[in-house]
Amino acid sequence: MGNSETCAATDNAQVLTVNEHVIKQINEQVANQLNTGVLVIDHAFTIVICNRFLQVHTDKNIDDIIGENIFIAFPELPERWLARKLNAALQLNTPSFCSWEQRHHLFELPHTRPITTGSEFMAQNCTFLPIETDENGMHVCILIEDVTDVCHYQTQLQKTLDDLALMSRIDGLTQIYNRKHWQESLKQEYAKARRYDKDLSLIMLDLDYFKLLNDNYGHQCGDMVLIEVSALIDSLLRIEDIFGRYGGEEFAIIVPEAQLHGAMELAQRICKTIASTPLTYNGQELKVTISLGVAQLSDKESNYEALITLADKALYAAKHNGRNQAFSLTA
Amino acid sequence: MSELNLTDDQLDCLQELINIAMGQASDQLARYLDTFVYLKVPNIESVDAKDLMSSLSEQQNTLAVVSQGFFGHEGIRGEALLVYKEEDSGRIADLLGYEPDELSQDEQLIDISSILTTTFLNVFARQIDNQMSYNAPKLLPQVQSNLSEHVQHMPFTWDLALKVNINYQVTDYSFNCNMILLIPEKAITKIKLVLDRILLDFS
Repeated sequence: MGNSETCAATDNAQVLTVNEHVIKQINEQVANQLNTGVLVIDHAFTIVICNRFLQVHTDKNIDDIIGENIFIAFPELPERWLARKLNAALQLNTPSFCSWEQRHHLFELPHTRPITTGSEFMAQNCTFLPIETDENGMHVCILIEDVTDVCHYQTQLQKTLDDLALMSRIDGLTQIYNRKHWQESLKQEYAKARRYDKDLSLIMLDLDYFKLLNDNYGHQCGDMVLIEVSALIDSLLRIEDIFGRYGGEEFAIIVPEAQLHGAMELAQRICKTIASTPLTYNGQELKVTISLGVAQLSDKESNYEALITLADKALYAAKHNGRNQAFSLTA
Repeated sequence: MSELNLTDDQLDCLQELINIAMGQASDQLARYLDTFVYLKVPNIESVDAKDLMSSLSEQQNTLAVVSQGFFGHEGIRGEALLVYKEEDSGRIADLLGYEPDELSQDEQLIDISSILTTTFLNVFARQIDNQMSYNAPKLLPQVQSNLSEHVQHMPFTWDLALKVNINYQVTDYSFNCNMILLIPEKAITKIKLVLDRILLDFS
């Protein structure tokens, strides 16, 4: 212990000459231990240096690819695009980047977690760094970072956000739009209809004697009826119609680009279909009917709420007239 | 805050440095694109945090913002935002010489932004005896609502924003974007020292 200390102190010059070699050794070993691919090419795209990362992740032998053109050594690379990228780094002497978000990977390297991710290859962030050398001119150092984990978690996060966005629009019980989303849609459809001078109709509907159904057969039966009726109505609509649950047993349909008679036809078809489709609960047949109010946007409404009020009035009239029917009103 | 603001002389000097940097950057760009690049004198403006926030939230029809961090020695660092408007972004692919469908519009925007930012800042850094490194450029998602939010939630606190309006004319394509450089206090102090030194050399 004491011996080596004196040695280092007395022979400083020798330590310094050794240093350069030692530093080179350290540099090489660090480069080979890095969990990042390091690939250096010259201005003719010939591979000059390649660290162990690429050998570990491919079945290529480093000695075989040194001196080879990068596009021959890695035929999977998009040649035209990458050549431009490399030329940009060489000519402008500025770094250039390629993110997994735009291109999932450049090099086809398998990753270490094949079960949990969607892609068979390692997601990569690549950096192209210009390097100037005294004798051989410009080179480009390509750094290849493994970002499979980032890609995986980001993809999961995005999926979760999409699910949440969907959940915030959907009514949990009936799986149709909830009141909030439906109302926002109506606001937009109203603005569109006004701006482009298009027709717009609205159907409000309500299950007849729903309270009795709940009282006689229980709330589970009521829930079943709400689910079945929603699905049935949904199957009768056009793709552009917007169907939502307005309140407990009240539903609403936005019918864009439809005049009153068209919307009325649809309402009557829905009314008949519900009345003629038998629903059973615990082996008992239920008689389910609905009442519908239909209204068309005219010059008189100054906001979308006025259209709801009008359709609501029509619904009230349908109830008043004996239920199981559609009724229309014009302002 | 006021000692962070640049004096008129400092601002003049900075404008001159930026003119030179922009000129050299566009020269390199012209060689790279193998076409004639005409550059109007870029207009710079220094804005404080509050004003930037309100001008960003007012900005209409912003198509995209690409953000790229830069860092040099002695605390010179910051983030460059390239802000594109819808009408100015249509022909970037033509400008860069890509084939149709060769790469997405996102990638084109990121590519041109990275070239503009790095060529410009490399030259600028050299003038103030510095050298820059860069983070990978990132396209900000859903810009419409998020630009001012992004600027507020930067990973560092920035105290001054330099807004550089760049107007490139590349043969028959005209191309317009705003570069906003967000710079923290320590870097401003350093830049001011460099500007004062340059001013002293010329007085």
